[in-house]
Amino acid sequence: MSGRIHPALVVFGAIVFIFLVAPLFIIVGASVSDTPYLAFPPRGLTLQWFWNIFAIEAFRSTAITSLQLAVLGTSLSLIIGIPAAYALNRYRVELPKWLSTVYVLPILVPEIVFGFSLMKSVSVGLGTPIFLSLLIGHALLVLPYSVRVVSASLASFDFSVEEAAISLGCPPLKTFFTVLLPNIRSGVIAAFILAFITSVNDVSISVFLTGPGISTLPIQILAYMQQFFDPTIASVSVLLMIVTVAVMGVVEATLGLTFLAK
Amino acid sequence: MTVSLEINSITAHYGTTKVLENLSLLVKAGELVSLLGASGCGKTTTLRLVAGFLTPTSGTIALGGKDLTRLPAYRRDIGLVFQNYALFPHLSVRDNVAFGLKQRGIAGVERSMKADDMLARVGLSALGARFPSELSGGQKQRVALARALVIEPPLLMFDEPLSNLDAKLRVDMRVEIRQLQRANGTTSVYVTHDQEEAFSISDRVAIMHQGRIMQFDTPEELYQRPANAFVARFVGFENLIPMKVVARKGEVATAQAPGGVTLDFPQRRFGAVPDDFVLATRADGLAVSADPASAGIPCRLGLRTYLGRAYQYQCETEAGHLIANGSLAEPLASGSAARLVPVPEQCCVLKPE
Amino acid sequence: MKNWTCWALAAPATIAVVVFLVIPVASTILTTFGDPKGVFAPYIAFYNSGFRRTVLYRTLEIALITTAISLVLGFLAAWIVANAPGRIKSILIIAAVFPLLTGVVIRSFAWMIILGKNGILNSFLLWTGAITEPLSMLYTEGAVIVAMVYLFTPLMILTLVGVLEGIPQDLVQASMSLGAGPAATFRQVIFPLAVPGLIVGAVLVFTGSFTSYATPQILGGEQQMMMGTFLYQRAMVTFDWVGASTIPAVMIVGTFAVVLVMSRIAQRLNPMAVS
Repeated sequence: MSGRIHPALVVFGAIVFIFLVAPLFIIVGASVSDTPYLAFPPRGLTLQWFWNIFAIEAFRSTAITSLQLAVLGTSLSLIIGIPAAYALNRYRVELPKWLSTVYVLPILVPEIVFGFSLMKSVSVGLGTPIFLSLLIGHALLVLPYSVRVVSASLASFDFSVEEAAISLGCPPLKTFFTVLLPNIRSGVIAAFILAFITSVNDVSISVFLTGPGISTLPIQILAYMQQFFDPTIASVSVLLMIVTVAVMGVVEATLGLTFLAK
Repeated sequence: MTVSLEINSITAHYGTTKVLENLSLLVKAGELVSLLGASGCGKTTTLRLVAGFLTPTSGTIALGGKDLTRLPAYRRDIGLVFQNYALFPHLSVRDNVAFGLKQRGIAGVERSMKADDMLARVGLSALGARFPSELSGGQKQRVALARALVIEPPLLMFDEPLSNLDAKLRVDMRVEIRQLQRANGTTSVYVTHDQEEAFSISDRVAIMHQGRIMQFDTPEELYQRPANAFVARFVGFENLIPMKVVARKGEVATAQAPGGVTLDFPQRRFGAVPDDFVLATRADGLAVSADPASAGIPCRLGLRTYLGRAYQYQCETEAGHLIANGSLAEPLASGSAARLVPVPEQCCVLKPE
Repeated sequence: MKNWTCWALAAPATIAVVVFLVIPVASTILTTFGDPKGVFAPYIAFYNSGFRRTVLYRTLEIALITTAISLVLGFLAAWIVANAPGRIKSILIIAAVFPLLTGVVIRSFAWMIILGKNGILNSFLLWTGAITEPLSMLYTEGAVIVAMVYLFTPLMILTLVGVLEGIPQDLVQASMSLGAGPAATFRQVIFPLAVPGLIVGAVLVFTGSFTSYATPQILGGEQQMMMGTFLYQRAMVTFDWVGASTIPAVMIVGTFAVVLVMSRIAQRLNPMAVS
């Protein structure tokens, strides 16, 4: 829009943006404080709380579980989501309008409702193993990203490119992999990243589906907080933030951040 | 109230790129002047400068003697008609038209009356309560027109107002715009890339190229007597042949074309001719003749296309690739030899650049 | 042939959603109606319980306040982003988006550090002499609201930036050319066109905060029990599944109703709205 901004607005705006960013800096500061309690500004600097993460078995195993869930869950959602997004765009006329709403249901339905119902019907009702229930929950949780973000990429895809390939002798399945996928690469990557981050950070679904022996990192942090209130929590948070920054770096390098604003 | 618009030595930049340099233009009171050119020529930039959406780096803009240059856009009292209509989607047609009146503090009842009046003048009386999304393109453009006219501005500006309409509607609407402008007598600036549109409705046209005005004249002058090669090409002189006068005898100058052939240029038919000049002709300006004795440029005929009123030939000559028209009565075969005879009425003599 | 293909492609995802989402949630809601004491018995019991009513009202109140504050802050910030010059705009967008990508646990936890007895706010107030004893700010409604606002403002900003940038520049120019200055243009053109987007943002924040779990858990605890934490407690601590099920039912019906009503209003308010 590029209009002019009133100076008073700039001041208020600065306050809002500081409000948004400062708490995260505070966590980073608290994570290196050489005190057995959370302190900001940090008194003394130490990395011991970071080493503590790896020392604690619970954090190690749940971190791995969270990673596994994120990778598998996201991949699963992409495997079923990309064809769905393709169908929605390519066969817009033949498919009913409400179908795209179906894939967005995991966002429309409150997460705790979803998690609770999944636990009741699947974990307990069907007796599925914990990891599998978690996987199903995560995969469905991130499905809307897989479908919507890839769909956005496909919306600007000219399907006559496919027809050109086919007319030149390329069989349909090969066309899908060699013509379509490379062109929606950016959408797939963006979807993967958004889904991954959502899965890693999820609490509301995981809290109902975790069980003895298997938990996710955010849930484990919550549990740790009930008992201990030391800077380890801060350092785990910083670790998670570093992972997010790394992932965002990849996005910026390959696509540019404004893609996320869609 | 009709006033003149004076643009004085305007230089404008987008960031560090200079888009207009020392541009000057005087639009006389009551005139409709078109700014004509391809995209990027600076016509829209000029319009935005006058409207106040862009500040010039140097130079002044005066409307009726009043200096506008430092005035913000919302105080310039100029009626604007946009390419995409820019109708407020959340307001009814009537409220759209009345918007400018509202800003001027005119009371509600009077506002509605004036708006309805103006809607009637543009032929949309029944549509006051509708919303822009329910209108066709032509109707939207008329609302945009009404909205700009109802505030009775001293200056009207049109930014390619018809380019989103289909061809037939474009022709009808441009006539209506001109009629309304004539009836009001409002000074107007009209930006377009459509030559026919500009020529058909304007008092004068400024042909622009790369931020400069190449020629500012009546449509007749531009069409028949372009001042330079750019304008000549722009108005349809497809052939530009460099010539050199080799002899003068009385009023007849004999000039040589590339390749050696000489042609006579009697002054009474071609006007005075300098020693070095460029002969600009339209396709109609070179008559194709199969007679080897005719006074014309020798050529070999290439592709022949049918224009309905004539045949058009792509011709290879020593003076380069030329396009010439031949009569329907004698179609000539591709590959044959012919001569191209200049027709004075479709020719123009230009200075070399 | 073609019909077959498009459904084959769409089927796996559709089936997954139906089998693992629609059916379980539907069954949860249906079990609430199967009580031998009567179809609406669990709901009546819910409403009759003073405690549960309190939880519901508290959740509603917190959600509404959070939405209101996020709207104001979000609109302000979005306006600045939409009007900012290129480089600054990118930085502001990163500042607004980054919190969204850190988890809900991290973002809520930060406020424990800030609002705790030994926290930053208390330290600051003690240092300035404004108070002589640290304030107990955690586990209060205020703490939950602050954390929720922190959680949802970025979402509101992103929604509103999209809305504001969706307003065509030539509408603003037209308005100005007709004599409306910056303030008048904002009031008569920009704000009315932004309202549908404001509604969308408000709905998102309201439903998100109404159904939130992690933030109330961390900052509200047992003292400030909300629908989300209440559901967890009922389901996983006391295993009262039928009683617990009324909560999801209320949530679903509530959020769906709000979304539907708001979409209708948004659509009617602005012919330009794409929802």
